[in-house]
Amino acid sequence: MTDVRFSLNGEAAEVDVEPRELLLDTLRDRLSATGAHAACEQGACGACTVLVGGASVRSCLMFTVQVNGAEVRTIEGVGSPGALHPIQQALSTHHGLQCGYCTPGMVLTALEMFEADPHPSRDEIVEWMSGNLCRCTGYINIVGALEALAGTAEAQS
Amino acid sequence: MTAVAPPVAPPETTTGTFRREDTRLLCGEGEYLGDVQRPDLKHIAILRSPLAHARIREIDVSGALTLPGVIGAFTGAELAAEVGTFNHHLEAIPTLRQLNWSVLAVDKVRFVGEAVAAVVADSRYIAEDALELIEVDYEELPAVSDVEAGLEADAPQLYEDWGDNVFLYIPGPHGDTETAFANADGVLQEKFTHHRIIGLPLDGHGALGEFDAATGRLVLHASTQIPHFLRTVLAEITGLSEAKIRVVAPDMGGGFGNKVHMVREEALVAVLAMRVRHPVVWKQDRTESLTASVHSRQQVHNVEAAYRNDGRILGLRAEIIADVGSPELYVLGAGPAIVTTAIVPNCYDLQDYAFELRCVATNKAPMGAYRGYGQGQAVFLIERVLDLVGEKLGIDPVEMRRINMIPDEQRPYVTATGAVLDCGSFHDQLSDLLEGADYAAACRRRDEARTEGRLVGVGIAQMVEATAPNIHGLAGQFGVYEMAMLAVQPDGKVNVVVGTKSQGQGHETIFAKAAADELGISPDDVTVSDGDTGVLPYGSGTWGSRSVVMGGGAVIKAARQVRDKMVAIAAGLLDAPADQITVSDGFFRLGEAAIPFAQIASAAYLHTFLLPPGMDPGLSVIVGYDSFNTSPFPDERGKMNVAATYATAAAAAVVEVDPATGVVSVGDLTIVHDCGTVMNQVILDGQIHGAVMQAIGQTFLEELHYDENGQPLTTTLLDYAIPTFGDIVEPRIIHRETPSDLIGGYRGAGEGALIVVPAALAAAVHDALVPLGVPITQANLSPPRLRDLLREHSAG
Repeated sequence: MTDVRFSLNGEAAEVDVEPRELLLDTLRDRLSATGAHAACEQGACGACTVLVGGASVRSCLMFTVQVNGAEVRTIEGVGSPGALHPIQQALSTHHGLQCGYCTPGMVLTALEMFEADPHPSRDEIVEWMSGNLCRCTGYINIVGALEALAGTAEAQS
Repeated sequence: MTAVAPPVAPPETTTGTFRREDTRLLCGEGEYLGDVQRPDLKHIAILRSPLAHARIREIDVSGALTLPGVIGAFTGAELAAEVGTFNHHLEAIPTLRQLNWSVLAVDKVRFVGEAVAAVVADSRYIAEDALELIEVDYEELPAVSDVEAGLEADAPQLYEDWGDNVFLYIPGPHGDTETAFANADGVLQEKFTHHRIIGLPLDGHGALGEFDAATGRLVLHASTQIPHFLRTVLAEITGLSEAKIRVVAPDMGGGFGNKVHMVREEALVAVLAMRVRHPVVWKQDRTESLTASVHSRQQVHNVEAAYRNDGRILGLRAEIIADVGSPELYVLGAGPAIVTTAIVPNCYDLQDYAFELRCVATNKAPMGAYRGYGQGQAVFLIERVLDLVGEKLGIDPVEMRRINMIPDEQRPYVTATGAVLDCGSFHDQLSDLLEGADYAAACRRRDEARTEGRLVGVGIAQMVEATAPNIHGLAGQFGVYEMAMLAVQPDGKVNVVVGTKSQGQGHETIFAKAAADELGISPDDVTVSDGDTGVLPYGSGTWGSRSVVMGGGAVIKAARQVRDKMVAIAAGLLDAPADQITVSDGFFRLGEAAIPFAQIASAAYLHTFLLPPGMDPGLSVIVGYDSFNTSPFPDERGKMNVAATYATAAAAAVVEVDPATGVVSVGDLTIVHDCGTVMNQVILDGQIHGAVMQAIGQTFLEELHYDENGQPLTTTLLDYAIPTFGDIVEPRIIHRETPSDLIGGYRGAGEGALIVVPAALAAAVHDALVPLGVPITQANLSPPRLRDLLREHSAG
């Protein structure tokens, strides 16, 4: 077992894990951060996306020991029921989610996108988001939500 | 007529989100099956067959039991001796092979991925480690991978006592095809094929079982579209009374029909919870989902259409062969193929129609339900026939449809198979499509493109969908009905519980609105729950585009009953006849006098002396709601009205084919959609968007491959491509609202676009390839398949 310490949504986290344990399992089973979801477990769908050092990663493909000393941000650190993040609010306003299973991964990828480029074009949004799969919405309203946010002051908040 | 999806959804809640579900789902606080936590939870991993067809000689689990952290390891033979079996409950169908199957395979495996043994351990990691320590001695048998090969006389047999591989045979000789063919000017003969795909909810099946030995009660949390049906089946398997079983369906990451089946693993979880006396969970991983859950669509159609030179289709004969894979699935996995046979006449006046259905068992994963439920194959068949006959006769696709459509004045129209169509005007719907798509201009642009050597095509298709179907004929039990509970609490706030189960369709939002409108209050005062058999005696779940039709109807019926009682209380307090009381904006009114809704509620519970003499206290009802117009079985002529109502749609697509790559670009897509009264257009349009994307996936991207030995080749999402952002096709949506006669006037939505769009895409690709003379008779138009087709054509 290996002692791993990292920052989870700004708070210190410490876990004692086998080297083979996946970050997704650690977050969900040990730290109650169940917003990241397992869907393909092969890095293909993006439902398990979290930010490590501000960069999106597939937590189903990353070992927990790899985040020792890192800053990890999950959906639990983005917005809260009383205070939705503008990306979350936009997704609701434009009906950009149905079952919601892929949504946390979408939000985190969009967060990374707006950090990198507050003014993405529609094509750039499609490009940025294309690693995240959704089976419900047909993507139309997700793009619509992010397009509406692009270029606004809120996009980078 | 309104067009184009509105870009912004007005909030349906006072907290500023569009749907009330949104807040928790956006914040990662939804509770999906995998998120349900319990202290002392143990994990199940399942050993699955690596062979498509084999006898199990021996299983040795002793190695697994030596691993620290393992609680138990179980074989099919061991559990089968102790628990009940699944069966199809369809003894009434004499041409269906009667089967019993257990929670794990016993004696024989019949597809790669079939569950053979199970381990319960402290973690999924340990449980999966332990699987590697189980030894199984298999005697490999030759496998049936191709459905037509499975019908050959010398094919290997999945069930030796059958004598062949035909699981279900249904003949359907409707009308007089002899005369129709005798009177024909010509006969079209074609073979159509549909490939194997999967609905693929991103959140797969899964279950968490808790058994309390002291009370004998079992709670099963399951990602299921049909919690009450599952409870009924669990009672059969476990031997527990339904009164001791509670099934809870939490938030669900999609279902798309896959979760209308009770997979054996759900029962396995219940059985193991009772055995090991710990809460246990099994969560399907993606490889299990792709190889060992519920596949769909695969059929072969051999069709003969008798036509007259004026374009009229006089009669149709269809041999329909469905590859049902392993038939050990409840509800009957052959169900969609049965529905295919029923829907073939579609919106056309075609009474002389004969089919023969053979559902063939093969050494592949079970076939079953997926959005569209066999209806897309039927629509593909008849729509292709119309275009191909029209092409022979030089009659354009629009005219072919007008010639053959059911006349508007015939309502209801009873189809050859017994469907009682109450739909709106097919002619007007088609006119709306042509106008909305600017069909004439699209055809002109196609003709111009052709002169430039480009392969551009325009295609149209129409569909009738059996919505809110009666499942009894396919399950041997259950029905078309729905139940709902509505309780006004003493403070005037309202609880609604429905027997449907949302998988992302926003039921909490729309049913709150439906109840609030009847009660004259704000939707914010209504809390909606679903998916808990402990709260509502029974329910039929969410599938078959039924939830708004039957669930919405049940909610409205319940609200009206409670409102009537509240009106009676108000009438007593105001000393006026009940029929003079009106209800609006949270008040019961008589002229200038108004009593707040909450005051009536408190009278019913807290100040019951205020109630009219003899009135029972309380303001709650549980209602059952049936449409009373469906048949549980076919009649002696094989006819049945399968559904409470029927929705309709039409689609027009413009595509361009790149012959070098086989890639098809969809330039334009228009859908006219009539689901009766629209409950919430933003949610409805979202359903259409999603169904369109699945149609794009089905037609251009998705295919489950098996090799000739029955080995699955598409076992991860790296091998099985579903659409992503780059594949967006934004449809132009035109709503028609022809109310049904049911409560609320609903017809049901969610599936129509996936039924009609693949046929429109096939028509458009066919049209694009006219200069090359390559007819489209297959549903799979993925780049490699299309390239194969073009190569075959140029070679020969």
